[in-house]
Amino acid sequence: MNALADEKVGNYLEKYFVSSFQRVGTFRIVGKAKQGGNVATYFCAPDGRVLHAIAGPVNAATMLREAQWVVEQAKKGIEVAKNDGGSFKAHMRKAHADKLRAEHGLVVEPVTFDPVDPKDNDGALTYRDPTGRALAPILPPPPIDGPDVKLRLQLENAARALPASALVRDRGGRGWALNNQGRVHHLLAGHSMGQIEKLYGAVFEGILGERITTRPVEVVDPFPGRGRAVRN
Amino acid sequence: MTRYLRWTLPALIALGLSIPAQADKKAPEANTCGDYGTNVHFEKTPSDAARKALKEEKLVCVLHVSGDFEDPDFT
Repeated sequence: MNALADEKVGNYLEKYFVSSFQRVGTFRIVGKAKQGGNVATYFCAPDGRVLHAIAGPVNAATMLREAQWVVEQAKKGIEVAKNDGGSFKAHMRKAHADKLRAEHGLVVEPVTFDPVDPKDNDGALTYRDPTGRALAPILPPPPIDGPDVKLRLQLENAARALPASALVRDRGGRGWALNNQGRVHHLLAGHSMGQIEKLYGAVFEGILGERITTRPVEVVDPFPGRGRAVRN
Repeated sequence: MTRYLRWTLPALIALGLSIPAQADKKAPEANTCGDYGTNVHFEKTPSDAARKALKEEKLVCVLHVSGDFEDPDFT
């Protein structure tokens, strides 16, 4: 929460945003030590469509930069779209793809339309959690067409330093290293302007690797037998 | 196509038009929902934030957290 304690960040968010929070995950207390815990920030339109997101904790400068970026892109999108919602969505997805290329050196073709969802979310075969709510799907980001040649060596070096599970795969099956913010842009190049309830699973579970649950804290005793009465 | 226009664009257009006006506005109303040790005021729920954002012609910032945001020791 250090970024939100910063005065500049606070002033900017107060000026352009109305903020709230939701508890969607848990962390474990094993013995007396805290394990895990995470945060994701979503910048949305008032109808819940996600313009941009930040996965994981960031410093004040990053938070401010990303908030400013989304406000600027929203203004540009309004100018470009001229009251056309489809054009506005396409603008935001292109903006994410451009930022992914500029800052992370990967090229994706933004998905500027949403195909019809063939899944029947109300069907008897649809899995639901015990609360009756459908689980948030982990959405597939658009395929990577190719890395920017300028950053190829850096990406290859970074890829070698990471486990295979942390890599994103391109069309050829090669793994490329992307940090959390790069993976957010990768996702939003295909799903920006989607509803937050459809996207948060892809961010919280798909990118951050956290489990979505409504339980705030899970207490685990590593020595469950300790303190139990000894039977003779 | 029209469903995008119904909510999103009017709100965003309003945001763009209202940015100079927002700078002149006085500080927001007294915090009833808390800032939890930050410089940001948080509404009780994202729905409350969305309603207020629509009214004040702003965007919405939603944090998804693990643990208890209200308790710094548990966040």
